[in-house]
Amino acid sequence: MAEPAAAAAASYPATRKRLTEQRKSRLTAYLFISPFFVLFGIFGLYPILFTIYLSFYKWDALGPMRYVGFKNYELITSDPTFWISFSNTLIMGIMGTVPQIIVALLVAVMLNSALNKYKNIFRILFFMPNITSIVAVALVFSTMFGNNGMVNWLLNSLGLDSVPFNSGWWGVKIAISTMVMWRWMGYNAIIFLSGLQSIPTDIYEAARIDGASRSQQMLYITLPLLRPFILFVTLVSTIGALQLFTEPYVFLGQSGSGSTRQEGVTMVTYLYDEAFKNGFFGTAAATAVLLLIATIMFSLLNMLLSSRMGGERGGSKA
Amino acid sequence: MSRFKTWGVMLLSVMMVISLAACSGGSSGNNEGSSEGTNGEQQGSSNEGASTENVELSFWSLGTTNYEELAKEYTKEHPNITFKFQNTSDQTAHHANLTTALSAGSGAPDIFMLEIAFIERFINAQDKFYNLYDLGAKDVQGDYLDWKWKQATSVDGSFQLGLPTDVAPTVVYYRTDLAEAAGLPTDPQEFSAAINTWDKFAEVGKQFKDKTGKPFADLTDLVYNGLRDQSPNQIYFSKEDGSFIGDSNPQVKKAYDFTVKGIQEGWIGNWVLWSPEWNKAMNDGEFGVLLGPAWMAGTIRNAEDSSGKWQIAQMPEGAGNWGGSFLTLPKEGKHSKEAYEFISWLVNKENQLKSFKVSGLFPSIPAVYDDPAFKSEQDEFFSGQIIAEAYAEAAKSVQPVYYGPLHDQTDTIIKNALKNVLEKKADPAAEWEGAMKQIKTLVDRS
Repeated sequence: MAEPAAAAAASYPATRKRLTEQRKSRLTAYLFISPFFVLFGIFGLYPILFTIYLSFYKWDALGPMRYVGFKNYELITSDPTFWISFSNTLIMGIMGTVPQIIVALLVAVMLNSALNKYKNIFRILFFMPNITSIVAVALVFSTMFGNNGMVNWLLNSLGLDSVPFNSGWWGVKIAISTMVMWRWMGYNAIIFLSGLQSIPTDIYEAARIDGASRSQQMLYITLPLLRPFILFVTLVSTIGALQLFTEPYVFLGQSGSGSTRQEGVTMVTYLYDEAFKNGFFGTAAATAVLLLIATIMFSLLNMLLSSRMGGERGGSKA
Repeated sequence: MSRFKTWGVMLLSVMMVISLAACSGGSSGNNEGSSEGTNGEQQGSSNEGASTENVELSFWSLGTTNYEELAKEYTKEHPNITFKFQNTSDQTAHHANLTTALSAGSGAPDIFMLEIAFIERFINAQDKFYNLYDLGAKDVQGDYLDWKWKQATSVDGSFQLGLPTDVAPTVVYYRTDLAEAAGLPTDPQEFSAAINTWDKFAEVGKQFKDKTGKPFADLTDLVYNGLRDQSPNQIYFSKEDGSFIGDSNPQVKKAYDFTVKGIQEGWIGNWVLWSPEWNKAMNDGEFGVLLGPAWMAGTIRNAEDSSGKWQIAQMPEGAGNWGGSFLTLPKEGKHSKEAYEFISWLVNKENQLKSFKVSGLFPSIPAVYDDPAFKSEQDEFFSGQIIAEAYAEAAKSVQPVYYGPLHDQTDTIIKNALKNVLEKKADPAAEWEGAMKQIKTLVDRS
């Protein structure tokens, strides 16, 4: 908090005869940047620290807090649902991210080369899903993936059996991953597009003169030069995938139920249910701490991989 | 001098940031429609004993009610009392906001509308609420349905958390056109008689399916609820010590097995509650009956094409209750006396009648049921039936039941097991075992 600094500033004239110019300018600078740190301290740092503190207590938010040591962590790690939520998060992360990035890349290449005339319109169209309310999106998709919804009707008319999208182990994941894909594909395509536009055209011209085919150009020019963009998108998508919440929460919570179904429970929905539906704030805090550790680990892994692949400067040697 | 000025400005700005940050942690949500007291009509408060200082009461209400209009009327009679409303339909957020406000020790409203599903969570936090028995609730206790009143009373009977708003007795909504097609009686009395036990209900369900090719009941949850709510005194958790008894309560198993039977015999549909296609099925007459509470009529009315094709019959073997709220007074409020006077007025006999007429909230004061204005109105949507009578009959057979703080979650786990049996053709016995295991890990964490 900034009070010490402010108090010190106020008492300086009394204790010291003179504030040196350097000191004064430093203090002024600190005062100018203090609003951010004050706000961050109250709304960012303090909750984080309190969460870690809370994870060692048993608390229902109304009664007194009781110290229980590591019991919350034991309870969480011995709850099969927690591990299901962990694996669900990873599976849906992969299902929603990998195909999405491939499609986004193809869309970006298409936008970059073919549709010169309507480029802006397509950009807007692809970006629209990202700024649509997720709740509305989840509701629309719920009707499509309902037991008697459009997707099953389509499957039936093709002579296939209905898929239980509301309760099937894969059905739920397919439905949720589809929503994630639909939402983020355009966003990532726009990022790739800006990456593509930063590649000088003379490289392609040289390749064409040397007789490189389209697919060779893609493999040997586009992909290597896009590497930093691909790494960035992967990192952001990974962190986003770990925090998946709204889609499963709304998609599986249509009946106003007391908890999210196991097939679609993610780490954040597990945490949310634990705190705000069950009223177990201690175990919820413990879950949050574990989620923090997982996120840090994945981010480190990502950074390690990207530094291996030379993510900081995408092969500018060409 | 100028140097001090600069410092002063700096200090001031820092202070402002801090105080702003401190303020914004308070009540969340947007205060829509704060009803400003119109002091235009000075009527002079006619009731003695009421204070005359100006008081603004904040009121968090839930769902569709006519309480804002009633509050305006109250302000006309008591010009010194005004209201600030915050309304939402999101139950989870509504109660989570209160939890946050109570644990922070600031930001709670003077009056909070508490839904029955959440009441067990707050009933033990007696230091956070006013005991309405201390404010004179004993005098009005006799006016309300006994089972309803007791839902908001502590186990030892000394603490009254809230005043009852509405009740939601469950009934059978059935399609007369489809009943006729299946060779069933269409008259409510006769239809009720034809399904007055669960065994008969199952037989009728089979017959209906064979004749019409459509499922008799719409979905597993509501059929399960029908039997679950007939469990005497307690369902999943013991009234005495709050321990889990769902695995040994015969009625729970009976409800589960009966629903499984319905799935296996094919007379329960696979719609999902509240989903758009469920609403569509209601509209198009895709199923025969819907077991639901009084407020479900509002949902059915949205299916406009089905107007005039519904009637209301009684549940087999007795009604249950699903929903309804209480008006509570959090301790953070400074004006408990004025607030109590207002809420006891808000849910009195004539206002409950108004709430039923305007918002379909079924009264919790049995004296209203005999009111000619209440029981004479024919409802066109329900084929001219006097629906108030049907609900009143159901309301009288409801028994008080203890839920426990984890009722909702426990219930969801069992219903998910039933959905697995229906949608994934899972083995019912294995699903039951799995559900019980899941519930036990949940209970261990509490």
